[in-house]
Amino acid sequence: MESKTTSSSARAITNPSSGAVMNNDRKSVIAMQLTDVEAMYGSFRAVNKVSLEIQARSVTSFIGPSGCGKTTLLRTLNRMHETLPGATVKGSIEVNGVNLYGASIDPVRVRRSIGMVFQKPNPFPAMSIAQNVASGLRLSGMKANRQVAEIVEESLRKSALWDEVKDKLNEPGISLSGGQQQRLCIARAIAVEPEIVLMDEPCSALDPLATLKIEELISELKTRYTIVIVTHNMQQAARVSDTTAFFNMGADRGGFLVETGPTTKIFTNPTNKLTEDYIAGRFG
Amino acid sequence: MSQALSNRPGLDFSLTPHDIKRRRVNQLALRIIQIAAIIAIVPLIAIVFVIASKGLPHLNLSFLVNGPLERPTGIVNAIQGSLVMTFVAIVAAAPVGIAGGIYLNEYASRNVARVGELLIDVMLGIPSILAGLFIYFAIVPILGHSGWAGASALTVLMIPVVMRTTQEVLRLVPAGLREASLALGVPQWKTTVFVTCRTAISGIMTGVVLAISRGLGETAPLLLTSQSSNDTAINLGQPMNAMTVVIYQNAGSSDPQVVATAWTTALVLFALALILNVAVRFKTVNNRIF
Repeated sequence: MESKTTSSSARAITNPSSGAVMNNDRKSVIAMQLTDVEAMYGSFRAVNKVSLEIQARSVTSFIGPSGCGKTTLLRTLNRMHETLPGATVKGSIEVNGVNLYGASIDPVRVRRSIGMVFQKPNPFPAMSIAQNVASGLRLSGMKANRQVAEIVEESLRKSALWDEVKDKLNEPGISLSGGQQQRLCIARAIAVEPEIVLMDEPCSALDPLATLKIEELISELKTRYTIVIVTHNMQQAARVSDTTAFFNMGADRGGFLVETGPTTKIFTNPTNKLTEDYIAGRFG
Repeated sequence: MSQALSNRPGLDFSLTPHDIKRRRVNQLALRIIQIAAIIAIVPLIAIVFVIASKGLPHLNLSFLVNGPLERPTGIVNAIQGSLVMTFVAIVAAAPVGIAGGIYLNEYASRNVARVGELLIDVMLGIPSILAGLFIYFAIVPILGHSGWAGASALTVLMIPVVMRTTQEVLRLVPAGLREASLALGVPQWKTTVFVTCRTAISGIMTGVVLAISRGLGETAPLLLTSQSSNDTAINLGQPMNAMTVVIYQNAGSSDPQVVATAWTTALVLFALALILNVAVRFKTVNNRIF
């Protein structure tokens, strides 16, 4: 769990081709360093001073009872929180040694590197399956080195959807089932080649089989991407994540980080009594 | 067993007087709202019937292609005038209304949006003659009674229609789509144009067509601005005829031939509005996204 210097994490993050090397010391590379992060809605502090390291090329899950601020915290990681009226963020989130909340940082640029998958599948209704996958590339004006069609196929393969949709790429994205739509959204998110993918309860609107497919997909994706997932489902956190962060709601109704650690430790031998009670289902 | 159950009052399903009364009241209420619905559509059917029966006998090609001074007389200048002024007006009103609606829904703060909405609703409720009066004092002294003045009056009436509809349909676009786009690193303006507006495009077009229908149907503001003309040349700098104005001027005549012109013009106007609305309805239903 020892963290390396920022320059080594920088190299690791910006060089996806070094996967083989990465695997050897995956646990030691930090993708994101959160320091005293606070998220406000107007004057209401939804997240209190969270400091946390997120490991590269692994899955980190945020768990905790409703209203503990885990989704809010997730949305601060790619500067989506501030898109809501009155929402602000304090503290610093460093990626690659750079504070995402630095004065010179453009949130649009941050979101290109840190993608997001939402609770409810949200393909663009006016676009076909292929157009949905290509939408990030096309609309953000990124110069793609390869043909868009190639990227669409690759992204759909990575999101385990290609075989199901390869014959109907021109049909509307919303014609797919809920589980397929969510995998389409994952394909859309990874088509712009982000380094980090944030997932906000990606399975909560899906049936158990579709959930299983997404979970398998997450396990595959972590070899290429750093994944942070918010989930209400503790079994899911136990199944898919390498690291778990447990949050709770304080007396002021603001969320705070209770403890974080390897998922196996959090679920079998948590340090904090609160965590133990939550895992055991005694509250939340 | 069944004997024992049937003795329980909660399981007695025979009709009580209360049940019978409730059914009667229910039937009566249903009849009343059915009759109300029929009353509501009777005028529409009557209008279609009367316009068709009075207008059709005089409808022929020369009526559509001849000017009012030619023999047989026609209303080509009124058709041209209505179409040209409505076209000019919508070309001016659609961009302003759409952009304004986008601003109110996507960018304005909550308070600005609330005030803006109120103002549009007031504008929507303004009697159209006041729009004509406004242009009569603001534009007519400069450009004279002209097609430009008529189109300006129609623009004033069309902008709030387009703006309100645009804002309403943008509000129906789920917030999740904007978030999905922003989270892909798409700049806000591209999200607005290529995701939000693209999703709502059929609704926005419906607003534009509503505004066109309104423009085609206005009479009072045109009387004050474009007036009328017998000239068949298309010249926006001169007074221009419109179909609604022809109907207004001819319907009260003592000459049955002139009255017939009013009816036939009404038929042409009605057919145009109907075609426009049906075409857009058809297109919109096919592109339904909500």
